[in-house]
Amino acid sequence: MIYLGPLIIGPILFGFIIGFVLGIAMKNNPKSEINFNVSSFVVILIVAIVIAWQLGSYPYYTDLPIATGFISGVIGIIIGKLIFGR
Amino acid sequence: MSTILKMFAFPAAIMMMCLGIVTILGGHITPGGGFQGGAMIAGGIILCVIVYGVEKSPIKLSHEFISAVESIGALSYVILGLIGLFLAGFYLYNVGTDFYNLVPNIIVNVFHYPDVTNAGIVPYFNVFVGLKVFVGLSAVVIAFSQFKME
Repeated sequence: MIYLGPLIIGPILFGFIIGFVLGIAMKNNPKSEINFNVSSFVVILIVAIVIAWQLGSYPYYTDLPIATGFISGVIGIIIGKLIFGR
Repeated sequence: MSTILKMFAFPAAIMMMCLGIVTILGGHITPGGGFQGGAMIAGGIILCVIVYGVEKSPIKLSHEFISAVESIGALSYVILGLIGLFLAGFYLYNVGTDFYNLVPNIIVNVFHYPDVTNAGIVPYFNVFVGLKVFVGLSAVVIAFSQFKME
């Protein structure tokens, strides 16, 4: 097993990978009337941290008091969008 | 659709997709798993397609993307099953847990999912099934939404 200190790396790693795959599919669409810029994604990240806190240490892990898979999924989506989704 | 709905739908879709990711990742110890999580992710994409339309949706799944993710999901599932067949003699044998002591320890360590449970390769199956289901369900809705009324 791979341990990164007290962190359980499984949900962090695979949450990021799935989020990254989803982020690749998010494109800036010139036809769209609604424009989501960087500040929109900052707000989405803050809301995601609140939701992860409310979810607790899902699923029954005890490393952190937040859902690490949820947070890493959001980070993966944002990074995938920034790198490939332009 | 109204402007309020357009402003709300994309952030809500991202949250739905992240909840789907969490459902996939907890599939080996909680209710849920690959199919349910993949359906939740597809729900986020379908919400965007309904609100913005296929042409203006911020989440665009191209034909190449759909075929690539679907192929990776299906092929990885089969390959992971074949690894069990070749190493232990049973298709879909859990080489990450190795209950019958049929596989060398180094192989067990490679395929062991890194968390506190002894799940082995089951979370990997959940991830692959989740990828396959989310593109599959999304592709169905995208195809239906492109039909024109006569």
